[in-house]
Amino acid sequence: MNAPFPFGFPWPTAFYLTLYVVTFAIHVAFMHYVIAGSSYLVTVAVRNRPVDPDRRGTLLRDWMPLMLSAAITAGVAPLLFVQILYQKPYYTANLLLFNRWMAILPALIVGFYLLYLLKSPLATRRGMWLRVVITAGAFGCFFFTGWSWTENHLLSLQSNEVWAQHYAEGRTRFWTITLIPRLITWFAAAFPTLAIWLAWQIRLTADDDTENHATVIGRLALTAWIGMAISVIAGIVLLVMDPPEVRQAVLGIAGIPWMLLGIAGVAAQAIGWWQLRGVGRLSRSRLTIISAGCSASILAGAVLRELMRISRLDIAAFYPKHAAAAEVGGLVVFLFFFAVNAVIIGYCIWLVRSADQLAPTDDAPAQDEVHSA
Amino acid sequence: MDVPYFPINDFGPIMKGLVIGGLGIFHVFLAQFAIGGGLLMCHLQRLAQAGRLPLARRFIDDFFQYLVLISFVMGALTGVGMWFTTIQISPRTIGVMVEEFHWLWATEWTFFCLEIASGYCFYRYGRRLNDRARLTLLATYSAAAWFSLFWINGILSWQLTPGSFMETGRVWDGFFNPSFFPSLIFRTITSMTIASLAACLVVNFVPDFTREERAEIIHKCAAFLAPMAAMPLLGIWYFLSIPADSRSWILGGSVAMTLFFSLGVACSMLIGAYALFGLLRNQLYINGATCLLLLALAFLATAGGEFVREGARKPYTIREYLYSNSLTEDEVEWLRKHGSVTNDPYPLQNRDELPTDQIRLGAKVFRKQCSICHTIDGANGLTHLTATWTTSQLRMNVSQLQRTKPFMPPFAGTPEELEALIQWIQWNNSDRPDDWPPSHDPDVLRDIRKWMDEVGTTPGIHLVHGSETSQP
Repeated sequence: MNAPFPFGFPWPTAFYLTLYVVTFAIHVAFMHYVIAGSSYLVTVAVRNRPVDPDRRGTLLRDWMPLMLSAAITAGVAPLLFVQILYQKPYYTANLLLFNRWMAILPALIVGFYLLYLLKSPLATRRGMWLRVVITAGAFGCFFFTGWSWTENHLLSLQSNEVWAQHYAEGRTRFWTITLIPRLITWFAAAFPTLAIWLAWQIRLTADDDTENHATVIGRLALTAWIGMAISVIAGIVLLVMDPPEVRQAVLGIAGIPWMLLGIAGVAAQAIGWWQLRGVGRLSRSRLTIISAGCSASILAGAVLRELMRISRLDIAAFYPKHAAAAEVGGLVVFLFFFAVNAVIIGYCIWLVRSADQLAPTDDAPAQDEVHSA
Repeated sequence: MDVPYFPINDFGPIMKGLVIGGLGIFHVFLAQFAIGGGLLMCHLQRLAQAGRLPLARRFIDDFFQYLVLISFVMGALTGVGMWFTTIQISPRTIGVMVEEFHWLWATEWTFFCLEIASGYCFYRYGRRLNDRARLTLLATYSAAAWFSLFWINGILSWQLTPGSFMETGRVWDGFFNPSFFPSLIFRTITSMTIASLAACLVVNFVPDFTREERAEIIHKCAAFLAPMAAMPLLGIWYFLSIPADSRSWILGGSVAMTLFFSLGVACSMLIGAYALFGLLRNQLYINGATCLLLLALAFLATAGGEFVREGARKPYTIREYLYSNSLTEDEVEWLRKHGSVTNDPYPLQNRDELPTDQIRLGAKVFRKQCSICHTIDGANGLTHLTATWTTSQLRMNVSQLQRTKPFMPPFAGTPEELEALIQWIQWNNSDRPDDWPPSHDPDVLRDIRKWMDEVGTTPGIHLVHGSETSQP
């Protein structure tokens, strides 16, 4: 790795690495909303306030199933590319964790339905404890999924000897101390992403121009700052705990440009929130800057995560597989339909946002009724 | 030769095929419900716009809630679950499929994204949109859902009928394989059937509809059952497109497959008969209980069809390339010289429970070559299958496995490994005693080698049908 990522690799490997990292970053943007949002909803349920003046809880409750769906859908693409890049270690880790790994599927299904249940009249009518159980259950399901992914990832980085021993002992859990800082890094990083998502949602769904956003900006800014601070500290701890080759990869020529991008992204967010707090309203330009900073830090995080993985695997052993995969046909068809379907998705969104299409009919139910169905 | 080894999990008394098959049937049923549901909603929306069924709008909005709650959650997650489960059962198979078809899978993903996006747009805003926008979203949703089927159908049908792919290696030769179109059209009609029955069920549970209104919707939805009339012809087309040996398993060669096939046909005929005489000809009203029964029959028909589709590939998981135990045709010969578990880095999990090294070797051979389809004494258990065989009979039958059962792959190991497997089976058949005498008789090993050489590594399907007739 003697060039900035992904240039230090043969082109097929670089190509698949790029696709993986980009699609993974998109998945992370939605996943952050779900994991941080569901944890926030637990606090909303526990506090049990009759009103929700800044609409954070209402928006989260309303949008969470869609965002979970988006997270799962966006997660399919990196899942495909990881099988091309690191087939053997990825499959081996899946197999070694066995039932424990497969449990993420029922967990996600239960979590998904709990989110719908939270929107139902049942959850609104019944007491606080039902909402606490629902939100805590949903968060538990998503956190378990995140934990399992991290565990799977770390197990995939181990040697053949560790795998053989793990298998011989019939273990379906994998524990290493670096699991903790890694999980904290990801979990804490979810909060600045959630903050910017919510800021845009509050801005775009404001009923009128007079809605006062000063308080919510302060709260979102605090959420983002604390999240970034904890994530950065946990990231540094992780880097210190990891083997020297990992640090070399991250702090070497391959990783430094991305590390700088990540720092710039965090700085843009920190300053952006500071300015936004000063302005007292959800200014589009500042939100755009924060969003760009957030995207940069997610992308940089995804690249650095990949460099940490590569430094612990013999990636050169996979080069022939990557080269063979790059030879198969279908790329043009994929690119064509990717572009066409992206345009159609954009058109669908435009269609429902278009003011003249949103003329309510006499029998149209209120939005809450629609969503509670 | 670099034969890949993965840690192989033990599912206890459950046959691995049942795990993947069970989830697969469930997922296929839900996915087809989503595809047919989209098409049906389009049809009803058009009827509403034409003034032929004004109350369709209300029904569509209600039905779509069910569609989202069931297919967007369970359908999507069981789809991901299929990937994970296939990795658990046969990582090499899914690895080959991903390597060969990843761009088509990625293309399918773009349609999946479109399906989710358009579906949620309709779910959230459908009631507030005008008719034109509603139809646009529904048409987009159904087209996206159907194209998901289009892409995945090509990859799955390739496993059984790779066509000229094995010679050319071109992705499109594999994708548009001999069973692609019959399978695609058959699945489309199945989707329409499931959606029609599901709609008839839902209309019985939607409040605020009078019985007359319900009857009107049921009769319009029942129109989607009419294409079932083409199923027999499509079934024949599909049959003709698959290899002769696969046909023979279904038509009596394997009793389990024949039974599942008969189950699928019988259930489909019952649904078809009710649809034709009850719903389409006599315009009967159908209540929730009857709908549920018909849907259950549709589920059984799907189960029968999927079981047959999976089973018809035997002895392969990817026809002419990868056997069901994840060994390639080329590797079998090499492994007969060097041993199938010689380089297996994964120790046994129950090593201490086994009395001798030979029994341990036999257990490893079972794990590598047999455990994908067999258990020890559970479903398709070797104990049940071989309890009455003598040891020499067992040796000969396993040595010439593809001759014993043509849907089994040839044994891929050394005579020593084969003898170890035989001893392990007999040890299990004898209630696993603490002591077991080793068997290293050179005459026995010589006989095993002779039997193995006699049959060679030619797959059983070619011994029965000849290499030409294995092609459609």
